[in-house]
Amino acid sequence: MNFTLNSMILLSIIMLVSPLLYNMLMPHKTTYFPTYCKNMIMMAFMTSLPPMIIFMLYGQESVITNWHWFSITTFNISMSFKLDFFSIIFIPIALYDAWSILEFSLWYMHSDIFIHKFFKYLVSFLLTMIILVSANNLFQLFIGWEGVGIMSFLLIGWWYGRTDANTAALQAIIYNRIGDIGFMLTMAWLMLNSNSWELQNIFSTNMDFIALLGLIIAATGKSAQFGLHPWLPSAMEGPTPVSALLHSSTMVVAGIFLLIRFHPMMENNQMILTTILCLGAMTTLFTAICAITQNDIKKIVAFSTSSQLGLMMVTVGLNQPHLAFLHICTHAFFKAMLFLCSGSIIHSLNDEQDIRKMGGLFLILPITSSALMTGSLALVGTPFLAGFYSKDSIIEAINTSYTNSWALMMTLIATSLTAIYSLRIIYYALLGNPRFSSISPINENNPNLINPIMRLAMGSIFAGFLVTMSIPPMTSITMTMPDMIKLSALLITLAGLAIGMELNSFTNKLMNSMKHTTNFSNMLGYFTYFTHRIYPLMNLYSGQRIATMLIDMNWYEKTGPKGQTNIHSSMSSLLTSTQKGLIKVYFMSFLISITLALMFASMSTNNF
Amino acid sequence: TASRLLGGIRWLGAAAQQVIPLGARAASGLSKDMPPGPYPRTPEERTDAAKKYNMRVEDYEPYPDDGFRFGDSPKLPERSQHERDPWYDWDHSELRLNWGEPMHFDLDMYTRNHVDTSPTPVSWNTMCKHLLSFVGFMLFMFYLGEMYPSYQPVAPKQYPYNNLYLEHGGDPSANPESVKHYEI
Repeated sequence: MNFTLNSMILLSIIMLVSPLLYNMLMPHKTTYFPTYCKNMIMMAFMTSLPPMIIFMLYGQESVITNWHWFSITTFNISMSFKLDFFSIIFIPIALYDAWSILEFSLWYMHSDIFIHKFFKYLVSFLLTMIILVSANNLFQLFIGWEGVGIMSFLLIGWWYGRTDANTAALQAIIYNRIGDIGFMLTMAWLMLNSNSWELQNIFSTNMDFIALLGLIIAATGKSAQFGLHPWLPSAMEGPTPVSALLHSSTMVVAGIFLLIRFHPMMENNQMILTTILCLGAMTTLFTAICAITQNDIKKIVAFSTSSQLGLMMVTVGLNQPHLAFLHICTHAFFKAMLFLCSGSIIHSLNDEQDIRKMGGLFLILPITSSALMTGSLALVGTPFLAGFYSKDSIIEAINTSYTNSWALMMTLIATSLTAIYSLRIIYYALLGNPRFSSISPINENNPNLINPIMRLAMGSIFAGFLVTMSIPPMTSITMTMPDMIKLSALLITLAGLAIGMELNSFTNKLMNSMKHTTNFSNMLGYFTYFTHRIYPLMNLYSGQRIATMLIDMNWYEKTGPKGQTNIHSSMSSLLTSTQKGLIKVYFMSFLISITLALMFASMSTNNF
Repeated sequence: TASRLLGGIRWLGAAAQQVIPLGARAASGLSKDMPPGPYPRTPEERTDAAKKYNMRVEDYEPYPDDGFRFGDSPKLPERSQHERDPWYDWDHSELRLNWGEPMHFDLDMYTRNHVDTSPTPVSWNTMCKHLLSFVGFMLFMFYLGEMYPSYQPVAPKQYPYNNLYLEHGGDPSANPESVKHYEI
């Protein structure tokens, strides 16, 4: 069984390499390549299922250390895979999502000439993501970390002729890089203090506040927490399959995954947990506020992702990493499905992304709209759909824990805002009368579109139940609480839905009094305007001035002739003031100083 | 071998015709008078500099000569490329710039990937105020939240019948003091 688990997981990972090899060795054979990629991912998913079942039945975990890479005196780095609770369950889910998204891309990117390159990028992204989640040492994790960052850059800037896409890709890289600084800080600290980057060695030492802070910064960068969040909504410049795979289910959870991996180190450090909790609460509220007045359907879903990431961060801050992981898994299903549905809507309306120009799609795109509604219901935590098992547990946990009360309040408000923006998408895109031209032949006839959406819909409905019932409870959760607290998540969501319905009906009643109050939300809290105008301006401006003018001026003039002139003239003007030609005073000074010197000399020899 | 020699001479002649003569330069690259020069002091220098930058003499205004070596670069308005018309058919569409147009000294900073100076619906001061006060308010409230956390109220178990006085072996005839129980 050990053999089965190890070999099947490794086989699953190797299956991801084969499309890349195929394209490398036979780059001219591109016609069948996309379907080949999709089939390989499907095979990889099937191959990774038995290990998950073995784990669920027998609790079999394993660490596979294959190959000794190098050693620097006593510091060893080898290629090792850690197949524990988190990675064994995440890998099949990521592959299931990727399978559905690749099949969807066959429809969505069908008219793109470089579709084979697109699939190659997606498969290499998936490979690096799996390297990230299955890594046993921080070096391998960092390889995966950087790999997903690079693939994100390449995929966001897929339509590289568009300057906005270039800016968005650049933004993603820079914000991720800032997070990487934190990661490297942690790696350096661990190298110095525990002489190992292997997780099992790290877990037996005690990590300092600085080292854990590095991890928090890394998670802030990669998982778009408040402060380093603007890249995620900008990343919607990429094609919808990219948004679905990278920026909703897999890449952005890498930061949270890192924190979950290091949860034994953070259990006893209350300060770190409070920091994570407050950061997560801030993120979830801020991005939910931004989401409620956006007009681009993909941006709403992107902010929804960011808000859910904040919620996961809150859960980690409550010392409940397994609940956070459960939310990662269930969130992957319905968020990817929401993106696929929005992709279906966008393509059907001839690339229209503005919800103010959609409407009445409920009967035109039946499968898409039912999937959209199912996904939204799962997102807000409807009882017994996928999101309920994770989200309701999180809300219960935060209500019954000893936590920061403001963080609790923020999380509850953000939960109700979740309902508001989900209703916003449904109201504007599906309900009402069409606001688009009726010329486009809208249909859902392509199985490459329908099958992924249906598959993820099945996942959104059943995955929560299946995963929750199959995993052993790792922590003891509070079961006893008053009725109101038990029902709080549901009540808050219903209140949010009611408020959302009220707000949406403002539009067709022409109530214009909300103009200035929505500015904060619509302009993303002014954060992007503030950050993207001050910092680049300061740095580039001062960099240019220093590099070309100040340094030149100083090296050529100030340290050379002009500087010397200044020093000499100031010194000489200082000294000339003393040189006034008073000869008698000078002779007197000689006399006095010689007398004093003789006195001191005679005194020092003690020869009275 | 004679025919081969003849062919070789002919090949040499053809190759020699394609050789660029010594001293010839390509038609691209900056010529001697094109790069920015020193600060224009006389009106003739100003006219020459304006002609070099394809500007009218009335429009041309160099940066003030304060030792920072701007030279004769024209002082154009500090507006980024974001503000230029996106629908006009520029020669360089991504730079929103035409050929021969005088470039801003900080053009690399004002491209569409970098700093944006376009006017915002809300004024800069209002934006700064709102954002910083929001963040400050949040931080303050988190601090308050740490001071007054939320928790499930728990208390030690309170037993009825005067804390189970009789069951603990108390004297039934004596009059014990009543125990106060708290409601949570």
